[in-house]
This record gives sequence, C-alpha cells and structure tokens, in this order.
Amino acid sequence: MDLDVFKSELDAWLDAHADELRPSFAGGGSLDQQVEQLGKVRRLLFDAGWMRWGWPERVGGLGGSNLLRAYLGEAVTLRGLWEPGFSALHEVLAPTMIEYAEPALGAEMVPRLLRGDEMWCQGFSEPGTGSNLASLACRSVRDGDGWRVNGQKVWTSLAQYSQRCILLTRSGTTESLHRGITALFVDMDTPGITVRPIGAMHGHEEFCEVFFDDVFVPGDRTLGGEGKGWAVAMDILPYERSTALWHRAAYLHDRLRRVVRTAPPGSLDPSKLGEVTQLLFSFRSRSRSTQYRLHHGGTLGAETSIDKSLLAQAEQAVFDLAESALGLSLLVDDGPLQDQWRSEFMYSRAATIYGGSSEIQRNIIARRLLGLGNDR
Amino acid sequence: MDADDLELFRTAVIGTIAGRSGSALDHALAELGWLDALDDDPRAAISVLFEAQGEACTASSSLARLMAHVLGHDGVLLLPSISSSDPPGLIDGTSIIVRGTSPTADADRLVVVVADSSISRAVTTTADRFDFHRIGGLDPDLGLFEVSGTIASDNAVAADWTAAVDLGRIALAHELTGVAAAMLELARTHALEREQFGQPIAGFQAVKHRLADTLIAIETARAAVDLAWDDRSSTTAAMAKAVAGRSARTAMKHCQQVLAGIGFTIEHPLHRYVRRVVSLDLTLGSSQTLTARLGAEIIAEGDLPPMLAL
Repeated sequence: MDLDVFKSELDAWLDAHADELRPSFAGGGSLDQQVEQLGKVRRLLFDAGWMRWGWPERVGGLGGSNLLRAYLGEAVTLRGLWEPGFSALHEVLAPTMIEYAEPALGAEMVPRLLRGDEMWCQGFSEPGTGSNLASLACRSVRDGDGWRVNGQKVWTSLAQYSQRCILLTRSGTTESLHRGITALFVDMDTPGITVRPIGAMHGHEEFCEVFFDDVFVPGDRTLGGEGKGWAVAMDILPYERSTALWHRAAYLHDRLRRVVRTAPPGSLDPSKLGEVTQLLFSFRSRSRSTQYRLHHGGTLGAETSIDKSLLAQAEQAVFDLAESALGLSLLVDDGPLQDQWRSEFMYSRAATIYGGSSEIQRNIIARRLLGLGNDR
Repeated sequence: MDADDLELFRTAVIGTIAGRSGSALDHALAELGWLDALDDDPRAAISVLFEAQGEACTASSSLARLMAHVLGHDGVLLLPSISSSDPPGLIDGTSIIVRGTSPTADADRLVVVVADSSISRAVTTTADRFDFHRIGGLDPDLGLFEVSGTIASDNAVAADWTAAVDLGRIALAHELTGVAAAMLELARTHALEREQFGQPIAGFQAVKHRLADTLIAIETARAAVDLAWDDRSSTTAAMAKAVAGRSARTAMKHCQQVLAGIGFTIEHPLHRYVRRVVSLDLTLGSSQTLTARLGAEIIAEGDLPPMLAL
C-alpha cells in the first residue's frame, strides 16, 4: 500500500464515517467514556482494514510500512476521535508481543488489541522501582510448568480496564539486576490480582496500583524466555519514544491551533507564541525523521531520548501558553471545554516525568550519545 | 548525492577549509567547484559547507555568493546592514542609495538589490563605486566591511530577494549548528580530561546534564533545518534560523560554564565561537526578531502555519 493512496483513501473514509466515529460527549469526557470511545474507534478502523495496515500478516495485519500506522494515528488524533495517550498504547505493546511472544500466542492476541476487543496494560514500575527499572522486585518463582507471581506494580495505566498485562518480574536474585528479569503475558482476570485506581491531579483515575498475590501464569506466557525481560523492556522503551510520540505531535498541533483560535484578543504574547510554535514544529520534524528511520529498517535506541526530551519541552510549552492566554476562563469557568483545558494543563505537568524523566533522558544522552561515562 | 558521494564531498570541503579564511578560502572553494555542487545538489552543498565553516569558525564570502547565485548572478551579493533583512539599496529618484555589508572588498562584481515598492530589483556593478570600511567590533575575524555609496538605477533587473534571504537563512542555520557542535566537542573533551575531587568532571551529573542539554538544543536546530529543507517556505526558513540562533546561544552558555576558567582565556578557542554565535545570530534577522515576527504572523492569520505532511 502506497502512503499517498493510503492517506487519501483513509481521509475519505474518515469523512464518510464521521457520524459513526464521533464521540457521544463534548470536551474530554470521563475516563469511562474515553475508553469506550477508543474501543469503538479501534473496532471500526480494524473492521474497515485501516487498523491492520503496517502490522505483519502473521498477527492479522495487512503488512506495509510503519508510516501507514503513523499516518492513521495522526489522522484520527487530529480529528479528535480518541485520547492520543491511550490510543498509542497499542503502538508500544503490540510490537513487543510480535517480537517476543510464541507465534501462536501473538497471532491469537494481537488482533484483539488492535480491534479494540481488549485493553492491555504495561506492568513495569513499582513503588520502589521508578527510574531504576533494573531494581524491580515483583517476584516470579517456577511452579510446575508455569510461574507463581507475588508483588506489586504502580503507575499501570488503565489496568482497571485491561484484560491482559505485559508484566516484568524478578525471577533471579535481586543482585542479578537486569539479568534476572522475566517478562510475562498475564490475564488480568487470574485469581490473586487486585487493581486499585489512583486519583491523579488531572482529574482522571488513569493510573493504578496492581497487586499480585500467588498469581499463576502458564509457562507458554513467558515473553522472550526466562531471564530475557530486560531485553523486552529495552525494546519497548524506544517505541514509547517513537510512534506514540508522533501521535502526540499531532495532538499538540491541534491543541496549539485551538489556543490560537480561542485566545481572547491581545492575550497571546507574540514572542512566546513564536517560540512555542518553533518548539512544536522542531519536535514534529524530529519525530518524522524517526518514523522514516524505522521505515528504512533502522532500529531505535538511545537517540530517541532526544525525541522524548523535545516532546516534554513542547508539551509543557503548549499548555503553559494555553494557561497564560486563556487565564481566567481556564481558572474559573464551568463547562466541558474548560474542564478539558484544565485537565490537559495539569496532565502536561507530567510530561517531564512520564516515560523516563527528563533527568533519566539526560543521563542516557550523556552516557550513550556523548560518551561521558556512567550515571550518578 | 548518495551517502558515499556525500562523505567524499564532506571530506573535500573540510580539507579545503582547514587553515584557510577570507579570500584564500573563497579561491580554494571556487577551485573545488562548490558553485557547481550547489547547482547539482543544493542541500548537500549548503549543509556541508556551512556546517564545516561553523565548526572551523572560519569565514568566507560563501553566504553572499550563494545569495547572488539564487538571484541568477555571478559574484558577491551586498548583504544588508547587520541585524537587518531588508535589501541594502534604496531608490532615490534615478539613483540608488546603498548601505550594506560585504565579506570582501575585492569582488569583481557586486550585486546590489533594491527594494522598489512591492518588487525587488538587482543591479550588478563594480566594487570601486563604493566606500569600504572595515568592521572590527565583537567578531573581527569575520572580516566584514561596511559598504556605502550611490549608484545609478539603470539596468536593474527583477530579483527574488525573498528567495535569496530564505536560502541565506537556511545556510546560516547550518553554520550556527556547526558552531554549536564545535563548542560542544570542546566542552566534552575538557569534561573528560579535567579532573577535580579525584575524577573527571564528566562524572558529575551537573556537568553531564549541561552537555546533554546542549546536544538537545543542537538536535532541535537540526530538526528545524530539516523541516526548512523539506518544506521550502519562507516561514520554515525563518524558523530554522531562529531555532538555530537560540540553540547556539544555549550551547554557548552551557559550554562556557563547563569550560570555566580555561574557556575564559584567549589561550582557548572558545571566545572565537562565542563571538561567532552572536554575529551569526544577528545576520539576516536575529532569533529574537524572527520569533516575535512568527508569533505576530500567527496572531494576524488566526492559525498556525501548515503542518509538514508525513
């Protein structure tokens, strides 16, 4: 499938099905509404074939370049049809399953994610394991031909809606650090799993604590083999900083455009607006190069820490500008649109924290791209 | 050019630049056939030369020759006065009052662009019509001359000043990026060699993060320049120049701090780069001016510039 053909045919389809695709709510909506909308849009896109392009045929895809996926994400995001932070989760999780799951498991499960039949979550962080992922402690012990899991995860996005989890566990000794980690694909309805959503400052209980109490996971749910969890994690993280970021660039463009269109006359400082626009356009250009590098068969690594740093800079700049331009209205007015601006402004505070904090990105850049030696 | 040709060309350009500046560099670049390369592959010719020129912190009249070339003229274009982006010529009855800058005083032909109501026109003339006054100032190595005089307005032909400025800004963005990359390399090397408290200062996170921020700034500028090449609009050319200017100033601040005492002396090359950042940022519109202008245009338009397609 040629990218230009894909673009024009997808755009035409999105226009023709605008009524079906449109959310039933104004503004940002509640978390329940956002998740339901995401499922609906994924299903319609999958059944019409759009969601299958750019994924390998062995997991129900139609093949073709990653650029097709990138354009799909951008087009749907620009039309405001899904929450881009949630929609991009499949861009992070599906490649991992394709790379590391037993072929039959990947073929069975990936279409469920892409079609919106299921939500999946990513169980990486723990209360004692934030930036230092290699210190994770959620324990997995061999039990017959499977695993017994005990421990806790935190910051697990949308766990309360998820049917599956890609879970990192400690199968070796704590001292084994990154060598003793095993990745498991876990059914969230397994006895012993408890999910507790956490209230967050942007007004949505998007993140959860997940507790594992003697949870049994069959052996064929091991991703990449015993002790290979670090490789799984290291492969997933650059994806968090590539296609998912491309979707986010489109989202930020849409939001900045709205700031320009809705800000009261005289409320925008030209110098600030110019600088925010430059940051956003530079970020998009960087992310575009990354998409083309993937398209040409390149692998992603430490250089995506630059992409993440540019996103964090652009995201906070866009919503800082929104806050200063919309001012009083953002502070006191009622209504779904104001609620959405408030929620997004508050969420943008996390842009320098989520997906590897700015400090961690700088450590990676210093060590891996500048050769300045180890962290600390 | 394919990747191998590009590497060969880069090596040739770097070899040509090494140890040369001013008219010696101009002649060497002419012998290398840089203007032919500009016709064959403008992006390769401009990015390679100007980045290398920035990294070496040397000076030539390539910007003025490039801009003349865009207008279809051989020779050296008279650049605007420092910090201006307007054509250096003003119509006054049947004559043109000229006030601009030139990187050389011995060009055979000088191309003077005149703003004439909404269109621009160019006059090609000999250099002996003008007074040349050497500019010392903050960055004397740049070797600029202030040029003034009055010439006749006969034989003026239409000239696309905007196109010349656009490509000039892209070239300057490359040069600023080269300057910033060279400063980062100086600071990085120093951080790995300089020991305090029993270890290289590169081991301290405060130092690492300054250098990481410098690389982020440089990559931001590279992304903006890529955008300008892919998009080829006046808006994105100005954006590239503004981002590169701001990024180079960020690099200048961080690298000066990491290089600390030695970087403050004239025994270390840093001061030449600091001077160059400021002069290049002010040429053909500063980052501050271009950024404010972009914001004002967006407000007037009521919309963002078009987004570059995937």
